[in-house]
Amino acid sequence: MNNFTYFQPKTLQEAGEMFGKSWHETTALAGGTDLLGLMKDDIEAPRNVVNLKSLPGLNRISYQPGKGLKIGALTSIAKIASHSDINKRYPVLAQAAKQVASPQLRNVGTIGGNICQRPRCWYFRGDFHCLRKGGDICYAVDGKNKYHCVIGGGPCFIVHPSDMAVALLALDAKLTVYSGGKNKTVAIGDFFVLPEKNVRRENILLPGEIVVDIRIQELNNNTKSGYVKFAERGVWDFAVVSVAAVIQKNGNALKKGRVVLGGVAPAPWFEKKISKKLSGLIPSEKNLDEIMKTALVDAEPLAMNEYKLPLAKNLMKRLIGELTA
Amino acid sequence: MNEKSKSKGISRRKFIQGVGTGVIGSTVLLDTLQAAPEKKGENGEHAGKQLLFLKVNGKTVRSMIEPRTTLVEILRNHLHLTGTKVVCNHGECGACTVLLDGEAVYSCHILALDAAGKEVITVEGLLSGEKLHPLQQAFVEHDGLQCGFCTSGQIMSARALLLKNRHPAEQEVVEGMSGNICRCGAYPKIIESVLAAGGQR
Amino acid sequence: MPRKIVKSKYFFEEDFIETIGEVSTEKVKDWGPNSQLKVVGKSLSRIDGYDKVSGTAKFSFDISLPNMVYAKTLRCPLPHAKIKKIDISEAKKVPGVLAVLTYENAPKIPWYYGMSFLFDPHLRYEGDEVACIAAETEQIAVDALKLIHVEYEELPFVVDAGAAMKPGAAKVHDAGNVVRGEPQIYKRGDIEKGFKQADVVVEDTFSTQVEIHNPTEPHCSVVNWDGSRLTIWDSTQGVFSVRDAIAGYLKMPASKVRVIKKYMGGAFGSKLEAGKYTVMAALLARETGRPVRIALDRRAMNLAVGNRPGSVQKLKVGAKKDGTLTAMNHYSYGAAGAYPSGAGCSRPFRTLYKCFNVRSEEYTVFINTGRGRPFRAPGHVQGTFAFESIIDETAEKIGMDPLAFRIKNYAEVDPASNRPYTGKLLRQAYKRGAAAIGWQDRKPAGSGSGPVKTGLGVATQIWWGGGGPPAYATLKLNRDGSAHVIAGSQDLGTGTYTFIAQVAAEVLEIPMEKIQVTLGDTAVAPYCGSSGGSTTAPSVSPAVRDAAEQMKTKLISAAAAVLEIPGNQLVYKNGIISVKNKPDKKLTIANIVRRMRERVLLTTGARNANPSGYAINTFGAQFARVEVDTYTGRISVKKIVAAHDIGRVLNRKTLENQVHGGILQGLGFALIEERVMDEFTGKMLNANLYDYKMPAIYNVPEIEVIIVSEGDAKISNTGVKGIGEPAMIPTPAAIANAVYNAIGVRLKSLPITPDKVLMALQG
Repeated sequence: MNNFTYFQPKTLQEAGEMFGKSWHETTALAGGTDLLGLMKDDIEAPRNVVNLKSLPGLNRISYQPGKGLKIGALTSIAKIASHSDINKRYPVLAQAAKQVASPQLRNVGTIGGNICQRPRCWYFRGDFHCLRKGGDICYAVDGKNKYHCVIGGGPCFIVHPSDMAVALLALDAKLTVYSGGKNKTVAIGDFFVLPEKNVRRENILLPGEIVVDIRIQELNNNTKSGYVKFAERGVWDFAVVSVAAVIQKNGNALKKGRVVLGGVAPAPWFEKKISKKLSGLIPSEKNLDEIMKTALVDAEPLAMNEYKLPLAKNLMKRLIGELTA
Repeated sequence: MNEKSKSKGISRRKFIQGVGTGVIGSTVLLDTLQAAPEKKGENGEHAGKQLLFLKVNGKTVRSMIEPRTTLVEILRNHLHLTGTKVVCNHGECGACTVLLDGEAVYSCHILALDAAGKEVITVEGLLSGEKLHPLQQAFVEHDGLQCGFCTSGQIMSARALLLKNRHPAEQEVVEGMSGNICRCGAYPKIIESVLAAGGQR
Repeated sequence: MPRKIVKSKYFFEEDFIETIGEVSTEKVKDWGPNSQLKVVGKSLSRIDGYDKVSGTAKFSFDISLPNMVYAKTLRCPLPHAKIKKIDISEAKKVPGVLAVLTYENAPKIPWYYGMSFLFDPHLRYEGDEVACIAAETEQIAVDALKLIHVEYEELPFVVDAGAAMKPGAAKVHDAGNVVRGEPQIYKRGDIEKGFKQADVVVEDTFSTQVEIHNPTEPHCSVVNWDGSRLTIWDSTQGVFSVRDAIAGYLKMPASKVRVIKKYMGGAFGSKLEAGKYTVMAALLARETGRPVRIALDRRAMNLAVGNRPGSVQKLKVGAKKDGTLTAMNHYSYGAAGAYPSGAGCSRPFRTLYKCFNVRSEEYTVFINTGRGRPFRAPGHVQGTFAFESIIDETAEKIGMDPLAFRIKNYAEVDPASNRPYTGKLLRQAYKRGAAAIGWQDRKPAGSGSGPVKTGLGVATQIWWGGGGPPAYATLKLNRDGSAHVIAGSQDLGTGTYTFIAQVAAEVLEIPMEKIQVTLGDTAVAPYCGSSGGSTTAPSVSPAVRDAAEQMKTKLISAAAAVLEIPGNQLVYKNGIISVKNKPDKKLTIANIVRRMRERVLLTTGARNANPSGYAINTFGAQFARVEVDTYTGRISVKKIVAAHDIGRVLNRKTLENQVHGGILQGLGFALIEERVMDEFTGKMLNANLYDYKMPAIYNVPEIEVIIVSEGDAKISNTGVKGIGEPAMIPTPAAIANAVYNAIGVRLKSLPITPDKVLMALQG
């Protein structure tokens, strides 16, 4: 890790002004659990590190019945996992938080940092000058691509590593982003970018822009939500495939729902077809099997990751079945 | 949460000529790293140092450090608290686990400056003088270790778990200890040790 | 004491070793079953437990000497290259950098059997050593490494064993890629005749991955010169092996090199020989005039200090309808890495079952990766997976229960040598293990309903693990009656310190607390072999017992002299010698030692020679119960029953721990661990502990440990055989067989990851 100058701004404005035009010069430190790894591997070597934890008030959770939930970007994952209102009202978010990394990393890692973390692709993390690092090839295309994306890829084939992002997209969360002296609202669905749009970054943030908080609307009482994560080691591992679902019931049938996949695409992947077909669906095993035929139809698996398709379908089926049982 | 270790006796320390024997006294002033003259090079390799205040096992530590210094480097290299181990140096194994304000963290994967003003407890900080903490004793009695290199981290994770949950059930132990790798595979007896320590309370 | 010098043979890690050594010929009474013993066999807490749980244990990694400096190594980023130009001038200018070694300025010390040098401009794998820097701090050394400018000539490379065997493959060495230029061939009987006698013939191909040791404590040394004497704190499984190798490399007398290792943060076979890093540190220490610490980082640990070679195994098995094996053929290849090591895996195939017609042909090939090293039962884990899989397939084809099929072909004598075993209780292991797992309830393969399916599997282990000479232990008594045992062995976390104290306490009948044990110091300890091959307890415990028995004899003679009563009228009990029928006329050990002015206090015990004309092996069976989630491909191992014949148990608690560890490592090998190479760049993709996945606490199954043996009195005065390796050998095969039983599809390539299961279920 190269050395750097360390800053502890007291206000957002002060923090924002510390960034230049390039990500190379200055980096924001939230929990730091991802940033330190990147810096130790010399993937990022900023001259300045701005510790956002010195900004007051960004680590709070507030829930107001009827209005919804607001989570400060610097709130630890552990705090979200154990928060009683979140467990009660937004199980999908609590379940995702509980499955992030390990207890030690959940204590330090923040939700803002979690959704901004860089991909785990072993070519990106390794000693390879790949597209995402400014090189001219994606090594995964013809390389070891078992963990890479099956949809939304090209020219780079990463998957987005965040568990929280998958749950937040299912909840249709809104982000408050500080940008050049004022706050703006960004729908989480607009936050992430695919490599075809920007192969160097995973989200729309520009240097100096800071995620301030995350807001989630109130869910009505007929809503069920959940998160399943499938990782090879079972714990302390990133998702091979994960599913977040938020489903509103209406008697025996489903009123509407949002289903989001993690581990399949370079960004959390909103399963439009499945989500749409949930409206009015009677969630029998047969009906679920039937709609799963339409899932991920546009997928183009690489040589080693075709298994993600049955895996994703089976996990969606299992989660929707459990939530609607 | 405050596990102040009293000044430890010398007798128990494995004595090797000249090996530092840790911190004695209430405030410790550490030298800056030797032979790293302050110079802002083109690549920023020797950018300026910053002052760190930290409480470690009840004692205040004050040191000028490079901002890139990690917490474990302070513990091992500056304070000679070598009970905390470095295995992956990447937040991927848990051998460096310590308590930071009562919560388990990977000390290899956190900047020392990020821990500034907080209280660190290491495995040495669980001792009362020569006497093992009941949790440490449980690891001895239930053989919750083999080679011993990941053990400090296992014990500190268990400590954090037990601070939150005094009588964890087996599944809670497994979840609470899931951030620590034991390559020897002593897990069954680690689980036994933590369950036993929970039962003692 | 009776001693003589004899030839003795024993198995260590990969092959038989024949040594000439001074051995004990003392015949002492067999201990009988553990129930008759007071200390040995009990579940006692390890005596170094305090040090390890308190953080006060100083591992070699923790040694810090006054004025010490830090060394770091620059490693080759390419799989095969030659250094065209190396420029260290910028690195040397960094304040705090004290010395830089490269092939241009370092002595030309031959390495790898003369195939290379300590620093070689011809680099044959990613991670090969290019330069080494000593600096005031580790950080300065790391910073300075980035300022060494190297121009490489990139050479063609090959990182896959199969590709390396093909004509036209890139050559790792000029002489060709097959190590020794030919396969290792073994045969007995006539397989063609045997296959003709068979009613069924089964052929199949299996493969196993490269596994990385990844012990938690990195390979590291702290070295210090005192004039012409060199002291090394090393993280090693063999202090004497390191001492002798370093003395050879540096051309100095072995007596001037002292190697110390008090605690060891894991090794599993990767720390059996002296490393380049130690020699580099010694050279840098000489140049700087200061102690040097060198420790590998995790990436280097994955690239450069060993692995379990992968294997491709083609097997053919013939059997009669009644289950009799008639012929077996084994063809395999695996990679040594860039320098010689063994990748053979046919030993269990050759020795496990009675079969008269057997042939194996094994190729070990060079590839451009780090070199293989022995890894917990080298060859056996991968060989047993393939062999015990095809044994199940054969049993199924002739319609026999897999366990009955194994018992049908039970070897009463060693099939390779026709020698009787010193002991073999495998039948009992099968029987008790089967009862514990509920084998009678095993269902036909793939017959379960619902998405989560359950299966049972079994596999057998054979290993050597009998140990042998030379191994010595010195026993000293102190004036207060306390005792000190010193041996040149090592404790890798296996409990060596503790069993040594137990054996001494058993014989001398004194409390464990009065016994101190010193290990791992060549300057003070008599010779013991390296700790590997599951030989430590079987080799060292008899030497300790011998030393203690000698001491007891000496104490009785001394008491006889003091009391002026013939020795045969004295009774030794609980460390007190009293006169028969006059219990108040007595002497404690302390009394005697004081009276003797400490002249009686020293004995040295030796391991006896192994009995000739016998085969010495461990045996055991492990049974696995697994659940396979057909939705996800996840395999959950629910229970493992481990039933073993390993001679006498010295300490039940540490033994169980060893068995657990073997099973967990076997589970990792079966299900998740794998070195991943990028074939286009020749680089390892997962040289870290996130991407290289090792079992976590979540993966722990229920484990039941059954030991069917007492002591094997034919081997030694303690009758101990090893357990470390035997516990790992059958685990992957048992799991794979259970997975087949659950889903009815056989997975033939390890690790059995969820993607493989899912794709296999898709058909």
